[in-house]
Amino acid sequence: MKTRASAPKSAQTALDLLVLTVLNRRGRLHGYAIASAIQELSAEALKVEEGSLYPALHRMEEAGWIAAESVVTENRRRARVYRMTRSGKQQLAAETERWNVLANGVARVLRHA
Amino acid sequence: MSWFTRLKNALYSAPLDDALDEEIRDHLERRAEAFRAQGMSAEDAERRARQAFGNAARIREQSRDIRLSAALDSTLQDLRYAWRGMWRSPGFTLTALLSLGLAIGANTAIYAIVDAAMLRPLPLPETERLFTLAAPSLDLTDNRGETDSFSYPLYLDLRTAAGSAARLALFSRISRVEAQIGDRTAPVERLLQQYVSGEAFETLRVAPHLGRLFSSDEDAGPGIARVAVISFDYWHRRFDGDPGVLDREIGFGSGAYRIIGIAPAGFSGVEPGKFVDVWVPVMTFDPGVFSNPASSLFHIVGRLGEGTSRDQLQARLQPAFHRGQEEMIGRATGIPPAILKQFGERGIRVRGGAVGLSEFRRTFGRPLWIVLGVAATILLIACANVASLLLGRSAARATEMAVRTSLGAGRSRLVRQLLTESTLLSLMAGCLGWLSARVMAPVLVALLWKRTDPVRFDLAMDTRVLVFCAAVCTVSALLFGLLPAWQCASASPMATLRAGRRSDKLRITRYFVAIQVAFAFCLVVAGAAFLFTLLTLFRVDTGLSEGRVAVLTMRSDLGITQDALLRTLQLQRRVAALPNVQGAAVAWTSMFEGSRRMERVQVAGQSPLEREEIFYRVSPGFFATLEIPLLGGRDLDVRDTDVAQPIGTVVNRAFAQMYFGGQSALGKQFRRTDGTRHQIVGIVANAHYTDLRSGPEPVAYWPMKPPRLFTMYVRSTVDQASVVGMVEQETRRSEPGIQLTDATTLDALIGTTTVRETLLATIGGAFASLGLVLAAIGLFGVLNYSVVQRTRELGIRAALGAGRATLVSLVMRDLLGIVAGGLTAGVIGSLAVMRLIRSQLFGLGAAEPAVMAVAAVVFLCATTIAALVPAARAAAIDPIVAVRRE
Repeated sequence: MKTRASAPKSAQTALDLLVLTVLNRRGRLHGYAIASAIQELSAEALKVEEGSLYPALHRMEEAGWIAAESVVTENRRRARVYRMTRSGKQQLAAETERWNVLANGVARVLRHA
Repeated sequence: MSWFTRLKNALYSAPLDDALDEEIRDHLERRAEAFRAQGMSAEDAERRARQAFGNAARIREQSRDIRLSAALDSTLQDLRYAWRGMWRSPGFTLTALLSLGLAIGANTAIYAIVDAAMLRPLPLPETERLFTLAAPSLDLTDNRGETDSFSYPLYLDLRTAAGSAARLALFSRISRVEAQIGDRTAPVERLLQQYVSGEAFETLRVAPHLGRLFSSDEDAGPGIARVAVISFDYWHRRFDGDPGVLDREIGFGSGAYRIIGIAPAGFSGVEPGKFVDVWVPVMTFDPGVFSNPASSLFHIVGRLGEGTSRDQLQARLQPAFHRGQEEMIGRATGIPPAILKQFGERGIRVRGGAVGLSEFRRTFGRPLWIVLGVAATILLIACANVASLLLGRSAARATEMAVRTSLGAGRSRLVRQLLTESTLLSLMAGCLGWLSARVMAPVLVALLWKRTDPVRFDLAMDTRVLVFCAAVCTVSALLFGLLPAWQCASASPMATLRAGRRSDKLRITRYFVAIQVAFAFCLVVAGAAFLFTLLTLFRVDTGLSEGRVAVLTMRSDLGITQDALLRTLQLQRRVAALPNVQGAAVAWTSMFEGSRRMERVQVAGQSPLEREEIFYRVSPGFFATLEIPLLGGRDLDVRDTDVAQPIGTVVNRAFAQMYFGGQSALGKQFRRTDGTRHQIVGIVANAHYTDLRSGPEPVAYWPMKPPRLFTMYVRSTVDQASVVGMVEQETRRSEPGIQLTDATTLDALIGTTTVRETLLATIGGAFASLGLVLAAIGLFGVLNYSVVQRTRELGIRAALGAGRATLVSLVMRDLLGIVAGGLTAGVIGSLAVMRLIRSQLFGLGAAEPAVMAVAAVVFLCATTIAALVPAARAAAIDPIVAVRRE
């Protein structure tokens, strides 16, 4: 039931989409692992400041797409672990759909220009 | 995230920042570790990790903003939703707002008075060091009581005994005086005046606004310093704040006083409820009291010195107090042994003086707490009412909620929504209550107002009252909001959707309605008892005929010679002879005004009784004017004077019975404690003197002496204004030395003796009706809802041949269960309530069961009315429509 009134900016959307995808595939992860996974998956094509991941994570947490909890890791470090929620899954599906439509559209324009 | 966490984050964000810092640190460490694994030096690895991360401070800011704005956003959203929801069911909203608003308003208004009269400290520095002195009462009728009145000689002894441990100051009773500014031709104005000792203001640590206040110079000797200090309030009211008022003369009583100073703003004396206008030195008091240890006319207020506790001071004062008591015993004769014993055992008590002295507290303390209790009960009923309405509404919304829950809305989110609704409701009710309290408080004070003893309160709706109002709002929001919210949180959406209705919710609503019934019943019983008390008092036979009797207060400047008395009596005869006047008499201070002279009576050959009797000075014609029947002997006449002994005296039947039993009292003699002899020349029927509660009090009526101030009773066939006009004209024409200063009627005076009872009956009655209405609304709500819920079941029953009577009885059985449970609790509760309020009741006694029965009947009527509509609805159910609806 929580949807933000304003349309998200595209950079934000891209990052959201990446985070959701990573969490969807790999389950529960802490922030560093998410950042590493994104770099790894995109073959370092997306050069963003690692830090900007955190505001995005917190925004998505407030929106209810992901949930966070504090855990103690195997080497006795406290870490915040994020996981996907049900409404996150719905969001991911919707965003992926939108992204594909957009990407296809852009690709067609590029092909026929 | 729960709204509570959000709120906590918004208000107190340090833990949030810590968590964020830790997350960032964790990230940096892990990244540095990864770089080290690639073979970098520790230093390089850390630097690179920080570079890759970006500006940590900016990121921290961004993250915080996100959290806080989310908190605000969702709260606003909840508020908008709650607001829309309120207007979607205006009937519910209006009922809830009105009942809660009135209840909160009543509580706030009554608290404002309780606070002003009993709780708020005097506006003085270090009030915790102030104290008042008290001792066990010697009043024969009241052994548990306490007196705070002391004699002047005792005050001097105590002051010496206290030494440096404390400062003691003397305050007389506050009295109303007819004052004139300037000379004797100036218009008369009525002021509250008080005698104080010289160091009174220094002890209280009051500094002058203008001029100077009293000092120990004013204590130098009787009658020396004829100076006055006026209050800031009076200065502004009367003189418009003109500084030229200093050195002007203010005249009252026996002389004139020069105004030397103005007390600071906000200081109105040490008695809450009374605003003193003018203070004068006690040394200008009637000099007789300075040496008389028997005239206990003064209150003592003091301030503890550094390092002295109240207990220490008490121990210090006790020997001096005891000495004073022994001197009194040694001096007096004919004191009954029981009193002597009491005297010997008396101990002085040092009481906290932060809230000052108050006659008002003594009279109205208990009634006010009762009224506050009544208001609190109304609030509870209103809360239970709103809670049951909310439950009913949320039951109606159960399906909506269940759907939302299964669609993924967090349960906490729904609870938050419900709590926001109840908070919004209580906030709006609080505003309404605050406004209505501002109107109600002065009305309540007006109920307490007596002409003979005007009370006035500083009802500033200040922070203390505001805090109280806010606390009441919060408590009520929790009371009516938490349960529906908890219900919602613990509900299983599956069960709700499957069953299609929620019977447990309805059951809890029933409990709430039963609670309302119980409390409302207690209120109705208490209200009925108070009304019954007032009606009983109104029906009391006073023994005199009080209709159309004007009570005129007159001032005489004729002096105190016998000639002056003759001229006063001449005026009385002239007034009696006026057209339309049936009778006129003069007497000392009027009956029913609270002042009385008490004397111990000794009859030769009998041991004195342990009691004192009322002695009232009256002129010939008094009994005829008030229509008190003469049972034997004769009325007083010109032969009877205060000078020649034995003094001719008329006594009432109760007096004769008390001292002469079966024998005829006519012609018998008795003595007062000072030896003065009286002879009984007539016996009259009993008539009330003090108030309506006191039974037939023994009274001795004896002759007038030349008065400075007296009362004239005039019985006539015309209205009050004409009587006042006629008497004024006659006085001006025939005796200009006498002036009419005040006028009222005997009816009105008797009315003032029932102020407490009127207060309790008015508030008790009003709130009982309100409680009854609320309980009826609650009953109606739950019944109506249950009929709606059971429409299908009732429809099937109707289809299977159940008659209308059966359907109605099905609904009624529901109602009876609730009402029976509530009433049982209510009866038990009201028995406890009756114990609490018994001291305020009158003439109830055996009628108590009757009052309960009346309350029960009233209740059943209200219940029947509440049940009518739902019952009719049940009876009118059409089986086809009902079954098809599903």
